[in-house]
Amino acid sequence: MTTREAFLQRVRQAVVEGNRLTAAPPMPERGRTGYQGAGADPVPRFCQELRNAGGVAHEAKSSEHARAIVRELVSTKSARKLLLSRGGIVERLELPRLLRDMGSEVLIADALPASTKDAFFQADLGISNVAYLVAETGTVVVATSAITPPSPLGKGVEGEGRRVGADPRSISLLPPVHIAVAQRNQILPDLFDLFDLFSPIGAKPQFPPSCLTLITGPSKTGDIELKLVTGVHGPGEVHVVICD
Amino acid sequence: MNYAKHEHHDFAGASAQALTDPPLQAALARLTDILMAGNRRSYAALADSSALRDHAKRIKEHALAHLDRYLEELEQTVTKRGGKVHWAATAEDARQIVVNIARQAGCKKAVKSKSMTSEEIHLNPALEKAGVEVTETDFGEFIIQIAGERPSHLVAPAVHHTRESIARVMSHHLQESLPDDARSLAMTGRRVLREKFYQADLGITGANFVVAQTGTIVLVTNEGNGRLTTTCPRVHVAIAGIEKVIPRFSDLPVFLKLLARGATGQTLSVYTTIITGARQPGEMDGPEEFHLVLLDNGRSKILGSPFRESLQCIRCGACLNACPVYRRIGGHAYGGVYSGPIGSILTPLYDSVSLNPDLPHASSLCGACQAACPVKINIPHMLIGLRQMQHRYKPARLEDLAYAAWKEVLRRPWLYRLSLRFAKVFLRLFAQDGWLRRLPGPGSGWTQVRDFPAPAKRTFRDRWKELNS
Ligand code: SF4
Repeated sequence: MTTREAFLQRVRQAVVEGNRLTAAPPMPERGRTGYQGAGADPVPRFCQELRNAGGVAHEAKSSEHARAIVRELVSTKSARKLLLSRGGIVERLELPRLLRDMGSEVLIADALPASTKDAFFQADLGISNVAYLVAETGTVVVATSAITPPSPLGKGVEGEGRRVGADPRSISLLPPVHIAVAQRNQILPDLFDLFDLFSPIGAKPQFPPSCLTLITGPSKTGDIELKLVTGVHGPGEVHVVICD
Repeated sequence: MNYAKHEHHDFAGASAQALTDPPLQAALARLTDILMAGNRRSYAALADSSALRDHAKRIKEHALAHLDRYLEELEQTVTKRGGKVHWAATAEDARQIVVNIARQAGCKKAVKSKSMTSEEIHLNPALEKAGVEVTETDFGEFIIQIAGERPSHLVAPAVHHTRESIARVMSHHLQESLPDDARSLAMTGRRVLREKFYQADLGITGANFVVAQTGTIVLVTNEGNGRLTTTCPRVHVAIAGIEKVIPRFSDLPVFLKLLARGATGQTLSVYTTIITGARQPGEMDGPEEFHLVLLDNGRSKILGSPFRESLQCIRCGACLNACPVYRRIGGHAYGGVYSGPIGSILTPLYDSVSLNPDLPHASSLCGACQAACPVKINIPHMLIGLRQMQHRYKPARLEDLAYAAWKEVLRRPWLYRLSLRFAKVFLRLFAQDGWLRRLPGPGSGWTQVRDFPAPAKRTFRDRWKELNS
């Protein structure tokens, strides 16, 4: 018997023995249990929860307003080296050009040469797109590859079956400041809504991206006498700019 | 003996030491008060939290009842996404597997994100012996690694340290004198550990959850070290106990909604990292190799025993914070890797029931642990089960005799009345202002640590008779 078979054999036997002591229950259905939702308008709920987690929400009235917010943030942080996602709202807002015109060094984290690692580690500020936002928890969801929501479940996302989000892991992780730019219609009310996007189609599982990251506020530690310190590993500041 | 450094079987000695350590007492009170307040507040704020906790429990029950099937499904899905599954029957197997992975991939520098499973298998010394430098990257774990100690809480491993002692340990390690304020210590940690992340070629993590349906592992951290560990190095090894497997991807949010709320009162921890395989073609960063080590190490034995429910634990630490015993003695007193009420069950089961005779008794069975537990594990019930087991191995003759005599007395009302009268007369001999401060013989076990109320002058029965006449 191989190690694997012996291993599984032991588990199989233990399952049978244990099931004799306590009956094996059927897989329960969740229904609406624990669904929190976010009321009629998820935006205020998202902003409130993000603030509770220590992040900063910016509601932009127009694209011009959104650009002004980003420019203001970059200049108050006196960030020189910026790491930006390709495509998405970052590009629609023409942030790369805007920030280059301000005199910053802008790296688009896509098809960078072999020296990428150093560039990632040295950046002062990262600007990413998001796959979704979750109102219930004030969470920013970033994904390493585009998510194609199955059309009937693609609620909250305009344009059925539209592909959303593709961001490298590092942009929202390595620089000390992270700005996420998003659109209103990317907000999902509840955490359950996010995971339901990956419900299997028939019997076929839908694989999530290689890395799906849920970010809820700035990096925190309480390991020193429970004093809250932000930015111990990940970004110490998280800003979310929500455009209409 | 330094209980912080070594695993041990001296529960009584270690507890006595902890009770006379004022900084530890202050730290434990602070930690457990804050975390418990968060636990209660957030369960109360979450609509139907009780029903959701029941649901989470049922998912775990179901997963464990079909664990063989889900493990095979998991192997398929992980492989499909380009990962490799390794089967580790024992701690020794697991160490060997990780060392081999490091060797084959030529890795020399490992970073680790906090993992109780890797503590359980004592991975670090094995890797270091194989010439791989290992750095713990959770700030608390980093402190105790350089101090040469063991974690003392599931989610706050360095709770037994003060600001000053952390500054001392870090200054010594870095050979520079550091100020002892929290922010600058944490920022020094960031700087030192960033360098380690930059150099590392191997990232080692545990897994909070493993999803059979999609071959996904989930890491939950507040600092972000879990993300760095799975982003920077070119090889990622995750070590997970087999009990971490849940069936479907859509079951994840049920646990995510409960884990942080139960542990700290946050709605969600800062980072939830959901990993399905290694870096895919066209991606900019992330590991090139993904390995999942599935660990048995005694779990299958528990799976087939009356203690199966203990495998539902999601390691949130809530039962520690709730426990009146843990709150006074802290984690090191329990002797094993896992402490608190759940440790009092796991350590005897994983290690040995007979070598840990005190652990099942380190509880008043008040039930605070179960009330705080996100999956409502019936810890008191299992502690009683362990006590019964102990009794079967090593019957206590004197106790049996005493209970047999007591039974005879209870069966005869006249004898019961007579013995009450005797007890009253006898005990009142030792009474002082209504309290018994010192009792002889077996009674001294009680009065050494607390007073006992003296029996009233007139018994309840006498007064009852009077009231009814
Ligand atoms: S037994 Fe329950 S409360 Fe204790 S650590 Fe495990 S999940 Fe948390």
